[in-house]
Amino acid sequence: MDQVSLSHLLWIGAILFVSGVVCMTTKRNGIGILMGVELVLNGANVNFVAFARYTQLGLDGQVVALFVIVLAAAEAAVALAIALNFYNNHHTIDVDRGDSLSG
Amino acid sequence: MDDIGYTLSWYLRLAWLLPLAGFAVEVFAGYWSNRHSKTAAYLATGCIGAGFALSTAAFLCWGSHTDWEVFAASDSAGHAFLADHVESETDHGSAGEGSHAVAASHDESRQAVFSGTIYRLGTFGDLEITIDYYIDSLTLLMFMMVTLIATCIHVFAIGYMSDELTDEYVDHSAHTSDGQHVHRPGRFYRFFSFMSLFCFAMLGLVLAGNIFQVFVFWELVGICSFLLIGFYTERHSANVAANKAFIVNRVGDFGFIIGLMILWTYCGTFRFADSELDGHTQPGLFSMVRGSHGHIETHGEDVILNTELHDGHWTAPHDPERTIPYALLVVAGLGVFGGCIGKSAQFPLQTWLPDAMEGPTPVSALVHSATMVAAGVYLAGRFYPVFTTEVLLAIAYIGCITLFIAATIAVVATDIKRVLAYSTISQLGYMMLGIGLGGWAAGLFHLITHAFFKSLMFLCSGSVIHGCHHEQEMPKMGGLWRKMPWTAFTMLVGVIAISGLAIPFTSIAFSGYHSKDAIVATALAHMQLNPIHFLLFLTPLVTAGITAFYMFRLWFYTFTGKPRDEHVYEHCHESPMVMVAPLVLLSAFAAFCAVGGENGPLYNMISFSEPVGVGHDETPMGLTTDVALPSHGTIHEVHPLAGKVALLAAALGTITAALLYWFPMVDPGTIKRQFSGLHSFLVNKWRFDELYDVAFVRPTHSVARWCVNCDKYVFDGFLHSLARASVWVAVVDRKFDEGIIDGLVNLAGTATRAVGMSLSVFQTGRIRQYVMFIAVSVVALFALLFAFITKA
Amino acid sequence: MIAEQCLFWLFATLACGGAISVAICQSVVRMAMSLIVCLASVSALFFLLHADFVGAVQLMVYVGGTIVLLIFGIMLTASAPFLKIRASPAEGFLAAGIGVFFLAVIAFTVAGISDLEWSSIDRNLSALTTPSDVTSGYNDSSSGNTTRPLALSFLGLRPDKGGNAPGYLLPFEIVSVHLLVVLIGAAYLARPKRRVSAEE
Repeated sequence: MDQVSLSHLLWIGAILFVSGVVCMTTKRNGIGILMGVELVLNGANVNFVAFARYTQLGLDGQVVALFVIVLAAAEAAVALAIALNFYNNHHTIDVDRGDSLSG
Repeated sequence: MDDIGYTLSWYLRLAWLLPLAGFAVEVFAGYWSNRHSKTAAYLATGCIGAGFALSTAAFLCWGSHTDWEVFAASDSAGHAFLADHVESETDHGSAGEGSHAVAASHDESRQAVFSGTIYRLGTFGDLEITIDYYIDSLTLLMFMMVTLIATCIHVFAIGYMSDELTDEYVDHSAHTSDGQHVHRPGRFYRFFSFMSLFCFAMLGLVLAGNIFQVFVFWELVGICSFLLIGFYTERHSANVAANKAFIVNRVGDFGFIIGLMILWTYCGTFRFADSELDGHTQPGLFSMVRGSHGHIETHGEDVILNTELHDGHWTAPHDPERTIPYALLVVAGLGVFGGCIGKSAQFPLQTWLPDAMEGPTPVSALVHSATMVAAGVYLAGRFYPVFTTEVLLAIAYIGCITLFIAATIAVVATDIKRVLAYSTISQLGYMMLGIGLGGWAAGLFHLITHAFFKSLMFLCSGSVIHGCHHEQEMPKMGGLWRKMPWTAFTMLVGVIAISGLAIPFTSIAFSGYHSKDAIVATALAHMQLNPIHFLLFLTPLVTAGITAFYMFRLWFYTFTGKPRDEHVYEHCHESPMVMVAPLVLLSAFAAFCAVGGENGPLYNMISFSEPVGVGHDETPMGLTTDVALPSHGTIHEVHPLAGKVALLAAALGTITAALLYWFPMVDPGTIKRQFSGLHSFLVNKWRFDELYDVAFVRPTHSVARWCVNCDKYVFDGFLHSLARASVWVAVVDRKFDEGIIDGLVNLAGTATRAVGMSLSVFQTGRIRQYVMFIAVSVVALFALLFAFITKA
Repeated sequence: MIAEQCLFWLFATLACGGAISVAICQSVVRMAMSLIVCLASVSALFFLLHADFVGAVQLMVYVGGTIVLLIFGIMLTASAPFLKIRASPAEGFLAAGIGVFFLAVIAFTVAGISDLEWSSIDRNLSALTTPSDVTSGYNDSSSGNTTRPLALSFLGLRPDKGGNAPGYLLPFEIVSVHLLVVLIGAAYLARPKRRVSAEE
């Protein structure tokens, strides 16, 4: 097989991203949506690190990937707190039950 | 000369203005006095009495200045006593000499005329409006007469109007809407304030030096007459009478104004006498029309006005500066005389004077017998130089008609004041007749004597009314001489005076004989010269008899015989001294003021101011008519005859009255029934009131009704339709506003809401859906970007 | 090279497969398991891409922190009763065997290093304190030795770029404060409240 090049890694990143989006849109479980968010962020991270390895981006890509990881962790914490509140208010984690903001 | 004029003018000015000052104070007397106070009356009487004193002082001043020529000038025309006339003496000098003497005295009298300007009110182009004075012997005489009579009447009124000295006066002739008599506060002070105003106005009229000023005061006396007639304002009849008086006067004034306009247009001035302007002497009206020679210069159809001054004589210049068409001069004269017709209650405007008796009796005495109605005659006399022959003829005929109509009505009148009112109208007709016939002095002579005896008789009737507790109807009186001897006696003096009775073959007579005699003589002389106008002699002659008849009828009916109403007779009493004293004084004057007849001081004073040209020229004059005015000589010729026939007529009238009313041989009731048609015609005053009602009042009312309807339906209808149109426009506007504009606004709102509602479909509240939208949008955005952005 | 390629393909497949199965699975627990596999594989990919530090951080934070958090969340919001969590004995044996194998691998690695090499590591480390070697680190960065350069860049220095290239000091501080705030906020948000009753 040919050398591992940038495009392979971009493919992987894309697959991760798209899976994450699909997961976000299709899951009724709130935690499932959170998982989708994690997948999206990971896809982005893969892209960043790939570009850091194969282009002139260099260290900056890895720095940004670090930041993304940190922020994703913070966001996961907050989102979980929201999900817990949602569960407390609605007695279910089914996000389709939370449509009181419908117009 | 100027000093005398100045002094005289100041005497008369003060006499004229004192009553005005009195008026100014008295009119507010309601505020500074209570209703029981007589102070207003004393003030008024004091003012007018002081006026008399000033007038007398002015007369003495004037007389001494002219060295009493007025009484020294004896015309060689030889106005002798009645005795001479009986012997039909023919000593009257040639007309020429007579005219010379008179002309000489007249030239002197020219200097005895004082005129000047008191105050300039305004200048409008060529026209100057000023307050002037014109003082000659006639003015002084009128001043003295007016102030004396006014003083007597003021004193009388203090007693007569004493009913009003109360806080609650009950008016038995006026009713409120629920049938009660009207109770009102007394108005004593107001009566005297009006009287003072009237005296001021009358004296201003007499003093006037230009015709416009005469007009102003003319109207003012009309106002005062209105106020005084309507003094009992709560009585409907009084209000109607006051309106009638003023309106009928106004009709005459219409002619007056036309005359004024014509005179101003052609003569350019209103002044009677000559005046100085920038060193030039401007001719006055008299000089312009008559010149210094006394006749009117005609040139074809026009009259040339005398505007050239030669040696103090006014003549007509060769190339005329000012001319006036003769016809217009006639119209001007007739116009001014129209005012006199209204003011002096001549035919056809005589209807107001009998109704004017609604006012209190002192008013009737002062205003409607002695002064205001005499103002017309005074003006006719004063304005004589401007009258042409046609105008004088018209004056004579109108006077003639008037005196006959009024005398016939007086025969059947039963209200004591009505008889006297018609008598006044009749005597005014005599005066106008006298003036119209060329007897200038005769007419004015009668004016003065009439003032005295008529005011005396009115005051006596007032005394009777007061004594009989406001009973005015003669059928309810009778035999009053026992209860009211003073009144009866003074009334008899007045009746004898007006009847023109005299002791035959002597010259002893009361004043009325002399003055009436003068007029009848003039009439006879006139008829001799112009036989076609015989009526102008016959009528006054016959009417003299009628006058005597109805006056004695009045006296017999009221004072002699058996009392016809016990109640009235029981309560009748003589009036208090404050009322009787003026009666006595006036009766003295009524009897003796014309002592000496045509040679007496009174006549001399009057004739001293005769206008140029009166009583000289016997040539027939006039453009359209040929009327010769008698000269003094002719009049003197016929005087004895005239005197005899007049006396005869008067005596016949008196005897008839005595037969009917004193020792009644013939019952007047049967005569009344026999001539019932004629009687009712006379009682209804020749039906003049009905005629005027149909001819003027009803058309005016129908025009007024038409105007009301026009206003109500046409104008108001138009306005209402405008209003309706506005309302309709407003309704349409509202519909437009509500429908279209609001609709548009609402549409905007509704559309926005619809759009919003339709967009709210996207708001499902479901998180997954929102994420889906985000993803789809990002994909679409990228697709768009890559589709439309080419590789760089 | 070939080993790298094979490892790359292996871990790539694992990552993509894990991601897809997260999207597909119906049970949230299975989703969590798949996510663990995916995230671990991504960490391995990082190692292969010469980003050692990032890979290590990935393992620690994501797999060790975030996933645990997610599993906590699943458990706290579970609506269906869980299955029994008692592990079967068969699994015990399997786990024990794998444990022994792991232990052996680690023991072998540790025993292969002699005492001298242990102490020389000390010496080498202290020799590396000269400024010229500070930036490069123990090994050069071309083989994934990025820890020191990354750390220096967080301190504001960029030796690899030369010149006055700016570092990431400010974002570092911001992110640290941000973390603090977020965690405090999340702790507050998730505090125990009066439980809303079922009818409301």
